[in-house]
Amino acid sequence: MSNKTDNNISGSVLIVGGGIGGMQAALDLADGGFKVHMVQRDSSIGGIMVMLDKTFPTGDCSMCMISPKMVEVGRHLNIDIHSLSEVVSVKGQPGDFKVLVKHHPRYVDPAKCTGCGDCEAKCPKKIPSEFEQQLGPRKAIYSLFPQAVPNTRAIDAKNCIYFTKGKCKNCEKACKANAINYEDKGSEVELKVGAIILCPGLDRYDATVRGELGLGRWKNVLSSIQFERVLSASGPFKGEIKRPSDGRHPTKVAWIQCVGSRDSHKANPWCSSVCCMYATKQAIIAKEHDSHIEPTIFFMEMRAYGKDFDKYVERAKNDYNVRYQRAMVSIIREDPETNDLILRYALEDGTLVDEIFDLVILSIGLEPYKDAPEFAKIFKIEPNQYNFAKTSTFQPVQTSQKGIYVMGAYQGPKDIPETVMQGSAVAGAAMSLLSKARGTETVIRKLPPEIDVLNQEPRIGVFVCHCGINIAATVDVEKVVEAVKDLPNVVYATNTLYACSQDSQEMLKQLIKEHNLNRIVVASCTPRTHEPLFQETIREAGLNKYLFDLADIREQCSWCHMGNREAATKKAIKIAKMAIAKARLLEPLKSETVNVTPVAMVLGGGIAGITSALSLADQGYKVHLVEKEEELGGLIKNLYNTLEESNVQEFLKTKISEVKSHPNITVHTGVEVKKTDGFVGNFNTTLTNGVSFEHGAIILATGGVEYLPTEYFYQENEGVITQRELEKKLADGEPVKAGDTYIMIQCVGSREEPFQYCSRICCQDAIKNAISIKEKNPKTNVAILYRDIRTYGLKEDYYKKARDLGVLFIRYEVDKKPIIEPSGNKFIIKVWDYLLNKEIILSADHIVLSTGLRPHPSTEKVSGMYKVTRNQDGYFLEAHVKLRPVDFPSEGIFVTGLAHAPKNLDETISQALAAAGRAGVVLSHKQLAVSGLIAKHRKENCMSCLTCMRVCPFDSPYIAEDGRIAHNEVKCHGCGICAAVCPAKAFQVNNFRDDQILAMIDQATECELVVAEK
Amino acid sequence: MAKAAEADIKKEVPPIEKPHEIPPNWEPNVLAIACHYCAFAAADLAGVMRLSYPTNVKVVRIPCTGKLDYIHILHAFERGVDGVFVAG
Repeated sequence: MSNKTDNNISGSVLIVGGGIGGMQAALDLADGGFKVHMVQRDSSIGGIMVMLDKTFPTGDCSMCMISPKMVEVGRHLNIDIHSLSEVVSVKGQPGDFKVLVKHHPRYVDPAKCTGCGDCEAKCPKKIPSEFEQQLGPRKAIYSLFPQAVPNTRAIDAKNCIYFTKGKCKNCEKACKANAINYEDKGSEVELKVGAIILCPGLDRYDATVRGELGLGRWKNVLSSIQFERVLSASGPFKGEIKRPSDGRHPTKVAWIQCVGSRDSHKANPWCSSVCCMYATKQAIIAKEHDSHIEPTIFFMEMRAYGKDFDKYVERAKNDYNVRYQRAMVSIIREDPETNDLILRYALEDGTLVDEIFDLVILSIGLEPYKDAPEFAKIFKIEPNQYNFAKTSTFQPVQTSQKGIYVMGAYQGPKDIPETVMQGSAVAGAAMSLLSKARGTETVIRKLPPEIDVLNQEPRIGVFVCHCGINIAATVDVEKVVEAVKDLPNVVYATNTLYACSQDSQEMLKQLIKEHNLNRIVVASCTPRTHEPLFQETIREAGLNKYLFDLADIREQCSWCHMGNREAATKKAIKIAKMAIAKARLLEPLKSETVNVTPVAMVLGGGIAGITSALSLADQGYKVHLVEKEEELGGLIKNLYNTLEESNVQEFLKTKISEVKSHPNITVHTGVEVKKTDGFVGNFNTTLTNGVSFEHGAIILATGGVEYLPTEYFYQENEGVITQRELEKKLADGEPVKAGDTYIMIQCVGSREEPFQYCSRICCQDAIKNAISIKEKNPKTNVAILYRDIRTYGLKEDYYKKARDLGVLFIRYEVDKKPIIEPSGNKFIIKVWDYLLNKEIILSADHIVLSTGLRPHPSTEKVSGMYKVTRNQDGYFLEAHVKLRPVDFPSEGIFVTGLAHAPKNLDETISQALAAAGRAGVVLSHKQLAVSGLIAKHRKENCMSCLTCMRVCPFDSPYIAEDGRIAHNEVKCHGCGICAAVCPAKAFQVNNFRDDQILAMIDQATECELVVAEK
Repeated sequence: MAKAAEADIKKEVPPIEKPHEIPPNWEPNVLAIACHYCAFAAADLAGVMRLSYPTNVKVVRIPCTGKLDYIHILHAFERGVDGVFVAG
């Protein structure tokens, strides 16, 4: 296997942390030809996201999104999960690290455990569940949550009766697989890896420190993460919103923002970035669960800075009647008789109010994991002042050690999509570093040739699983075997204790050979987790993997009909018969492959395009970088410094010269794309200058433009300038005169219909320039007129710095905008002051407008050319807001930078690396396999009515050269919408053909003859 | 006169099938057609959480509710099913 390169670079990567970001990086790397070791301190992967009920701003179910990804990680041939493990030490250099990993004892043998959970049921010890945030119990032998990966239970020795008192061993008695091992001492293993990715995740602020808010003291005060569990349908209250004190449904519910954030006193100075949005989400979801709820959110500033976030807040206000109260709650007291809570807060004009609520939720902030300082020492990386990993604007995922990358909340507070983006970004960075060792340590399964069964009569083998007692306690397994064994085409039927155990898999292979079985039905658990396992097994026995069907008689029968043995057995028989009916009609399916041209095209030569191009070129792929302007650089040609960095132009110059001198990059400037044909792996593009080339992936980095204001006398009066113009003046060294007054106006062209979105960069631009003015000449006056200051994350420091330097912040509301009147060389500004509750009049020498961002005008054309959709603001719409932030639904096309949404320089660079990582995965394959589960088109039945073309979400039916409909199977995802709408039934989905579905329905509706009693 | 005409019409119109008397202990037979990615997963979760429901529901899994064809539903009713539940 090892085919090491000369300089001994390892083709393995260590990922420390198994949250959603680590999972994304692991899948990208393993799919891109690298071996991955994932070290996770919990007994399951999943991190924080598995605890959440829904996600903002789409309200998608969190577990439904992450669970298939966990299964994918858990089953990946080239990902090893080291759960309940920690890194002890690291030696070596980039490309060649030696990492010592400690596996803590689990006391359950993963090789024997089938995950059935019998042990957990028999364990007598109950303790508060960490996963349920102490609102529900777990056992001493446990899995973190029902969908845990790996599904092997673990014994919590600290709470186990056997380990603490020396007797019990109930779990050992209950385990029919003999997986319990009380002698487990754990182990240490040395791993050799080329790169290290750190994503240990986050901790939450301990709000009991702020005793005045009553968490842990008043029963009806919950933390926001507790409330996620309350909302969850699988949580302690099964999604019913109840007060912990009396189980009563609350009416008035309050959220208190910034608990533990933006506060240097007994808390953290930074903004946690996610709380405004999750509180809004929780309020909306609570209201959806129970329409009687009246939500109030107490906040300082509403930081809805992300894509479509402002619209979400507006919807909360207008459609869900969420009340947003701008106030800090100073104390919460409890009425001892009713357990109601009395909140004291001051209105903006200073009036003190006491208001009674039924339930209070504290929006607690994020902080680095409590072991972060130790963690940094193990990897010898430099932390920043708050113990997050130190990174820079220009290298947002690079730690102070080469070859060690960081992402997610350990780099700074951030939400799910940004974490996922960074996951792909670190994968891209590691793939660049280790490009020479790609494929050297990955494993490819060797398989026997497939037996040709196409013309054989179906010979079905049926295996009915006891699953320990999980199925057998409710369903009479022998009766099921008896009922199906003589059905037509059933050649062999038996029962098995655990169908999924190693020995059963071997038995299955043996029986396939002995009885010439050519269709297999297993009646056990859900196909969603176990189908791939059995498919692999029958493939190893020489059968096409699609000659298999799983009858779900556990999740959908025994577990929900306990104590109803007769009816459950009847139902299990029916489910098995349905699967057998389908199995009779199963046919072997071929997985086609297409070749991949290992070349990328990057459209747009701004910093996003430049970064993506360089990363892909370093990964070893040829890149065509296409820019319509004569010069590379895009919007940041006008950027001189950021809050953190001062040498943006120098950085840009270096990057441009790197691009121009890179042997793998061809730069095309002053041209546009004339047309692109083809599909993933096989695109062909012609430029307006006639140049054409083939490529396998596309990155759209078409960028954005700044809004050109028409308000506030801009371009009428030269005293009115934009932040960008001011930045240039300051960078050019134009003197800042003592006594001058600068008034900055925020949200010019943002957060108002028809541009109801936050441009994300303007608050920081204003603060950056304000600090710069004050530092150049402290004898100036600077005031920022704002709606909400959105210095999220660690940028909050600069908001504080600006205030400390004497910058004035005056809030205005959109319905009372400041009024400006030119007066000689000066301006008179009238603005309402909410603290004084009256209009104040200011005089200024300079008016500076913080203008918003817009998508580049070419976005519309590009969207039509590649058939990719845009949101209502004109930015490209990614395939999935949370988990596929740089993908499009069409394979092989990716998005990055301002073309996706407004963002800062560091975020643009992260996303550009992510797009390069995702594109690199596609290009790493010589061939792409197409799933067998796709729609098949029969041209002879087709009338070319084009109905399929209109409904296909993936653009796979097309008009062929003969003028009739043809089907591109590479693009097909097998959803079958075409099959449903086709009036001629020219489309059929493999394994979900109409005859197969109807055969199942026939079995499901089969009547038992009942002799009517007289 | 009017009454006679009404009686004639009644004669011509074929009698509408009277709703069946629901016999005691009768259980309807319900077919659920569920999307692999959401409703089928939800049915699994119901099991994982040990939520109980009557046994007379059988689930047919399809790749997307977009795949659902009217012939599936009509065929089920033709076969005498008492209800079809489409979830996705």
